[in-house]
Amino acid sequence: MKQLFLRHARLFSFIIAVIICALIPLFVKSPYYISLLVVTIVNAALSMTFIMMLRTGLISMCVAAFWGIGAYASAVLTINAHLSFWLSLPLSAIITAAFALIIGYVIIRNAGFAFVIMTTVIGMLFVVAIGSISALNNYNGISNIPAPNTIDLPFLPAIIFDSKVAFYYLALVIFVIVILVMNAIYLSKVGRAWNAIGLNPRLAVSLGIDVFRYRLLSFVITSAIAGLIGSFYASYQGFIIPTAFNLFPKSIYLMVYAILGGVEYATLGPLIGSAILTFFPEFVSMTQEISIIIIGALLVLLIIFLPKGLLSLLHPKTAFAPWLKKGQHKNKIMPVSERPGEAKKI
Amino acid sequence: MTTETILRVDNVTKHFGGLIALDKVSFDINKTEILGIIGPNGAGKSTMLGVISGYYPATSGKVFFAERDITRLPTHKIIELGIGRNFQASTLFMSLSVSENLFYGFHLSYKLPIWKNILRLPSAGKEEEELKQRGIQILDKMGLGIVKNEITRNLPHGYQRILGVCIALATNPKLLLLDEPMTGMNQNEIQTMLQLVRGIRDSGITIAMIEHNMTAVMSLCDRIVVLDHGQKIAEGLPREIQTNEQVIEAYLGKK
Repeated sequence: MKQLFLRHARLFSFIIAVIICALIPLFVKSPYYISLLVVTIVNAALSMTFIMMLRTGLISMCVAAFWGIGAYASAVLTINAHLSFWLSLPLSAIITAAFALIIGYVIIRNAGFAFVIMTTVIGMLFVVAIGSISALNNYNGISNIPAPNTIDLPFLPAIIFDSKVAFYYLALVIFVIVILVMNAIYLSKVGRAWNAIGLNPRLAVSLGIDVFRYRLLSFVITSAIAGLIGSFYASYQGFIIPTAFNLFPKSIYLMVYAILGGVEYATLGPLIGSAILTFFPEFVSMTQEISIIIIGALLVLLIIFLPKGLLSLLHPKTAFAPWLKKGQHKNKIMPVSERPGEAKKI
Repeated sequence: MTTETILRVDNVTKHFGGLIALDKVSFDINKTEILGIIGPNGAGKSTMLGVISGYYPATSGKVFFAERDITRLPTHKIIELGIGRNFQASTLFMSLSVSENLFYGFHLSYKLPIWKNILRLPSAGKEEEELKQRGIQILDKMGLGIVKNEITRNLPHGYQRILGVCIALATNPKLLLLDEPMTGMNQNEIQTMLQLVRGIRDSGITIAMIEHNMTAVMSLCDRIVVLDHGQKIAEGLPREIQTNEQVIEAYLGKK
């Protein structure tokens, strides 16, 4: 038993974490805090998609825009096409992925700075574009988006989405699925190819990796996930306005969550970052303007002293910025007996 | 001795803006030989390897690999066909361990469909395990077995150069392009590298190598191509090259 646990330590701790999260509503009765948890989950999932693209060397500034495409697609599908939420959830993910495929095909060939600029433009353009479509009610947004349809279960009480708690559980289920899917991809051949591209694109090409295709794949997958989350968000909020999906502050914040937690921690980093930045302003009850200033200052300090994010404190040896360590030789020097010339004799 | 051509460079010209890096260069690489490409700095040697492996598109001329025109193919396709390469500087995944570097190198060796790999089916796990073992085998053969768990950044320079060759071998090449595999190595390490390159050739892989170390080139290569200012000025056996007037002139200047 103990051995089984040790071999699958990550899986077991994940299951325990999910169970704890599932039990939270039993102790936290305030719907306000439950809604903060839902926001945390939404932000964490979006921030995770930012990290997934970052793995392949793509810094995307338009995560929020694809989130918005998903939300608007879902709103139109449920209100105008009268589809059930459960059908429009996967459909809006597919629609978002289709947008990402077309846009990505054009912009991903120019990775690097050009990509950052182009996604920035797309992130800003999205708001303007939606705002100018009168069928989508311009900048006033769409309201009265229906909640998910009731699920009737045999022998059990029906699941009705009339409370924050029900939405919290739905968010948790979606979040768990997203984490499982993302980690499965990270651990596969695809994840290794992404990592190779992110670490050294020149070398990745020389290994036979089609850099463009794999980058496009990450762009499409992450956008599909963002669209899925967008669909959930639209149904949860009941209304959406274009400015909610703007580059500033939304896409910037998604980036900040990832950096605060640590971009090397693809799942936990965004979760920690988004939890802290969602709950911190509430606990110290500050106004929006002041909290942004304080968060900004803390972030500057973080990048100076802990460039790899808060989670890097788990490995204190490498967590702190290199300039904080004095007189340490960065490279370990190999003993002479292990040099290549001697390697044959051993 | 039968000489079968594995790669044919036919009248390749490469311009970088106004600079003519390669000017109508033609040569063949025969199966299982070690071809040396030498020349003074800026002669266009690395550009030549870049054109062959598809990093730079040729301005004109053609490259044939196993009778197939590969001039316009993207790099990853050319690698897939069986041309491996290393890089002049130590281009490695520095933050990963040595064995992970090799494992990443097996990108082309997965036979199972991608979804089986993502779903982590037992067959996919077995395949990954086999690839890891193959990586360890390559490392052992190249004398890096003892450092397989080290982080690549911490390796001494000589080991990093050898690891670069190991990763190129992981792509299962028929032709291996080596860009200055011995720069910055001490005498001891050069001897090791010489042995390793011979070993690779003996396992049936053709090698084209750029190298500045003349003793190494002369003792290792079967044939040599000399480039100067983007033009091929000589081609032949090592002893012919050593006495070639034009080559001496290119290296030392006119008498």
